[in-house]
Amino acid sequence: MEEHDGVLQRRVLSGETRVYAQLVDRYRERLGRYALRMLGDRDDAEDALQDTFIRAYRALGRCEGPGGFGPWIYGILVNRCRTHAAKRARTRDIMVRSEMELATTPVASSKGYDGLRDTIYRALQQLPAEQREAFLLKHVEDLSYEDMETVTGVRPATLRMRVFRARDELRKLLSETVLD
Amino acid sequence: MTDREDPLDAIIDILKEPAGLTPDLTVLVMAEIERLPPPGAAATSVPWWRRSWTIRLRPVHGLGLVGGLAVLVLAFGLAGRRWGRSASPGEPRADAGQLTQFVLVAPEASAVTVVGDFNDWSMSATPLERAERDGLWYVTVPLVPGRYRYAFVVNGTVWRSDPEAPAGEDEFGRSNSVVTVGGT
Amino acid sequence: MSGARFGFLPVFLLAAALPPIARGQEPRLVGRVPDAARTQVDAILVAARARGLPIEPLVDRALEGATKGAPPAALVAAVTRLRDELVVVRDAFGATASTAELTAGTSALRAGATARDLVRLRSLRSRRPLTVAAAVMADLVAAGVPADTAVGAVLALAPDADDADYIAFRRNVHRDIVLGASPAVALAVRIRLATETADPSSPNSSGSGGSRKRKP
Repeated sequence: MEEHDGVLQRRVLSGETRVYAQLVDRYRERLGRYALRMLGDRDDAEDALQDTFIRAYRALGRCEGPGGFGPWIYGILVNRCRTHAAKRARTRDIMVRSEMELATTPVASSKGYDGLRDTIYRALQQLPAEQREAFLLKHVEDLSYEDMETVTGVRPATLRMRVFRARDELRKLLSETVLD
Repeated sequence: MTDREDPLDAIIDILKEPAGLTPDLTVLVMAEIERLPPPGAAATSVPWWRRSWTIRLRPVHGLGLVGGLAVLVLAFGLAGRRWGRSASPGEPRADAGQLTQFVLVAPEASAVTVVGDFNDWSMSATPLERAERDGLWYVTVPLVPGRYRYAFVVNGTVWRSDPEAPAGEDEFGRSNSVVTVGGT
Repeated sequence: MSGARFGFLPVFLLAAALPPIARGQEPRLVGRVPDAARTQVDAILVAARARGLPIEPLVDRALEGATKGAPPAALVAAVTRLRDELVVVRDAFGATASTAELTAGTSALRAGATARDLVRLRSLRSRRPLTVAAAVMADLVAAGVPADTAVGAVLALAPDADDADYIAFRRNVHRDIVLGASPAVALAVRIRLATETADPSSPNSSGSGGSRKRKP
């Protein structure tokens, strides 16, 4: 599969621009899922995803290394999501959302938003970003710690600790509602 | 730890469900890249994303990736309602309409309110509620179709516009943001 | 003479006892807008109502000024200016235009659209709503797009676009700007895409418009 990615990558670099659509189709679902779970907002996720694919296209010639296209573009997406979070922190973001967004916004109570998935999504958003990132890459995207290191630039030992803490925190957050 | 027996596995299975993002993504991406130079072309000396980053910080372009979302608050399917009148001074004017959530991240604030065209610019009509974590304040307001200017007021004195929303007109020296609800 | 003066006294006292609205005063301004400005604003409101203009935007502007602590003169000037703009927009959009359409039209005017542009918009949109189209004019200018370019873009889309199309268009322009395009270039590209082919990001084509797309 990685080799196949490499073939597509070379075709794009040789001028077959339309071939890039195959790479987008191949990775959009997994990357989109990560973005949505990480950012907790559908429109943010779509923005981050589109941004990621465009940036990856621009930098495709620099996609090198043993991991190939997959971990490389994961790394771009992880950075896009981090940038998003950092920007929010810097500017103390003021956003406008529709009522529907409450389902994925960390709020004090869950009034009016019952449902297993809403509860889980809210709990996930309450994790510190670095824990949420590590947890999602490990357990939802099923990356190895080695690939996670490539994607995040964080040492495996630190990643293991973050995953452990994320699991622990999720258990606490969901103990009375979901995990009973 | 044996993962198979861990109740978190059920949670993880749910988190693995497809995100179902826009089916147009590939088309959107390809439309974008078709106007870009080929990726194999000579690179510019300044990385593309750094140039983009600079632009991103310019206030006038504060309509960033999130900014698009403020736009998407625009609602549809509300046919032909005109602005209502306040039941009493200061109350949010719309008695029916698109529920719109205003959110402010202000960890050090002790009180936050939103003032705007929808609540007679009342400092007391629409206080935001504080979430337990992350310094997040929020309130949900029903808005009938229209273009509303608004601002946040922190601790009763500090005015804050929305860097992620379009700027609205201001003639009094305190900048506004704007949200438009469609449908009329 | 003195008898005549006393003869007016009961009327004066009666008037003072009436609620503000019965005296031609807007009750929401009482206690919030300084007296020095309130009398003039009330007069503007009475005249506006008589001309068939909506007073809600004018009251909002006065209350905004009051909340922001504006000097009375500035407050009155702002209300007067908005009244004048409402007249222009009402003439352009027609007597049946909604308050929301008129208000959005004033924002477009202030962003650089002309009365002729608004007439053109009304003509191109036939009986379709104008609020979002006019608002997008103003928002594009606020995003850095030159006014004439923004107006041209909104007018180019006017015959076929619905609100959702305008919203998608504006969002895509914003995204392009964030990704590094100049506002004018972003607009030109998006106009080309929107007019040469159906805009693929349109909620109509994706089935994900407005709040329908936002539920996870």
